[in-house]
Amino acid sequence: MQEELFSRIVDMDEEGSIKLAKEYLEGGGDPQKLLETCRNAIGVIGEKFEKGEYFLSELILGGEIFTSIMEFTLPHIKEGETEKLGKIMLGTVKDDIHNIGKDIFKAFAEAAGFEVVDIGVDVPVETFVEKAKELKPDIIGMSCLITAGITSMKKTVEALKAACITDAKIIIGGGRVDEEVRQLAGADAWADDAARE
Amino acid sequence: MSKSAQELAKERQARIEAAMNLEVPDRVPLRGVGGDIIPAYAGITQQEFCYDYDKAIKAVEKFLKDFPFDWPSGSIPGLDGRVFSVAFSEFPEVAAGTTFISGPMHDVLGDKYYRFPGNETDVNATPQFVGGTFMEPDEYDELIEDPVKFVTEKVLPRACANLATPRQAMATWVKLGMEFNRFSAAGRQIGMISASLGYPSIRMGGAYAPLDIIGDFLRGITNTVLDIRRYPDKVKKATEALVEPIINYALSYKKLGMNLVMIPLHLNEYLSPKLYKEFYWPTLKEVILRLGKEGVKSWVFFEGHHEQHLETILELPKGWGVAYFEKTDVVKAKEVLKGHTCVVGGIPISLLVGGTHERIKEYVKNLLEQVKPGGGFILSPNIGTAPAETPLENLTALIEAVELYG
Repeated sequence: MQEELFSRIVDMDEEGSIKLAKEYLEGGGDPQKLLETCRNAIGVIGEKFEKGEYFLSELILGGEIFTSIMEFTLPHIKEGETEKLGKIMLGTVKDDIHNIGKDIFKAFAEAAGFEVVDIGVDVPVETFVEKAKELKPDIIGMSCLITAGITSMKKTVEALKAACITDAKIIIGGGRVDEEVRQLAGADAWADDAARE
Repeated sequence: MSKSAQELAKERQARIEAAMNLEVPDRVPLRGVGGDIIPAYAGITQQEFCYDYDKAIKAVEKFLKDFPFDWPSGSIPGLDGRVFSVAFSEFPEVAAGTTFISGPMHDVLGDKYYRFPGNETDVNATPQFVGGTFMEPDEYDELIEDPVKFVTEKVLPRACANLATPRQAMATWVKLGMEFNRFSAAGRQIGMISASLGYPSIRMGGAYAPLDIIGDFLRGITNTVLDIRRYPDKVKKATEALVEPIINYALSYKKLGMNLVMIPLHLNEYLSPKLYKEFYWPTLKEVILRLGKEGVKSWVFFEGHHEQHLETILELPKGWGVAYFEKTDVVKAKEVLKGHTCVVGGIPISLLVGGTHERIKEYVKNLLEQVKPGGGFILSPNIGTAPAETPLENLTALIEAVELYG
């Protein structure tokens, strides 16, 4: 069953994969195993994206399938039974109200086993700093679509550093981001589309 | 100055037209940046730039005077209003006014599509398009049956608070008409200033990819991408139904003497070649071909990455129009499209923000060595909006570099 489910998810069979996962759970299947299979499938979707075999639409659908299956699977898994890889704090920077890139990244980071705290869009620099102090994330993810986001990212990274938040890795992502922007902003890594981490 | 404004404008126009016609111009033309940098340079807020047309016109004038690109893109901010263009597609005299929705128009409509500074966002934030979901999946049949009726009667009342009821709508449309007049008057004033400064007048109308109407204005990007898998036949039929109203509104610009339309693409980057060829390209291609037959060329902005679909452009007849690329490598694009399509782009906006005088010159030199031979190339920042903090000397560096190596 696990193999069948794995390939249905990877092949973008939304209806088929959700049905199969439901049947498996209802038949007394192991929710932990189900979660693992889904995670592996999402991992492969991400790899296919990196190789240029899949595109953003496949990432969106993959994320949607994962979220749908998790809705009825997670209630069967006890808190603390799944080990988290780490905590990611995620937001779209000040003066940018776009969320699609952030949301795709969120779905994939959760599928990969991270705890993701989404702090929203148009997030002021001060909020990034406050939230980082409060949540103590391992990774801080910043997203932007518009060109104004480039300077917002720079200001946010500077403020985080000024507040001595140096333990967290800073990843920036979004449509207008490239290596030049990474250097300018002083971030640790960049991606111009949501799944290339 | 040795040349008169008129001579300068003529020279620039010839340069741009040569490139667009796949010929070799006297030097590579340079398209300029606009957006956030203009109010920042004039010392006014984004809110003033969007809402106070007198201040905005002065800001544009100041920018045009000091940064002489061949083809400047300084204008008062407006965001794509194509859903309104579809709604008015049967009335060409009105449709042309809907290309861009300005801040004051946004306030009149009370719509949920846009965010304007000082309104929903900070006074110094860029005006932004956000879109949304204003149609349910079980309504595809209605859209297919009569797209103009569906958009007018169902979508717009949901998307615009001030069009929610017919009695509200009456006043809203009248007020919007008044704003169209104010906006076009401001546009004409900028046009006169441009001419007096030696800039050519190249006016562009608009058209759209049918699937992007659905993604941007009806179902939202995420839902549209999912609909393609869930209701493929309906999505396809809906794109086919939208071709006619799009062509009708695009032709309204022809009546005003424009023979070029701008088509910005959004979902192209999201789709695999297979999905692109099935759901996106056939109807976009039809729009471009039909407008071409009417003597209207298309200026397509291939947003994001378009490498995966590059070859499909060759399905269009030679000289169909202009391909402006954002993240697609223009060297590769030029190789594929040379002698067939004029290629525009090449300067990453991040280079203008983060680069130095020397690096920009070096970059332009290297790039032009590869793309200049044979003509048919217009150098341009890969996106028209320069952030407020863009170092001004970098804009000058770009202009100088093109004069040197173009």
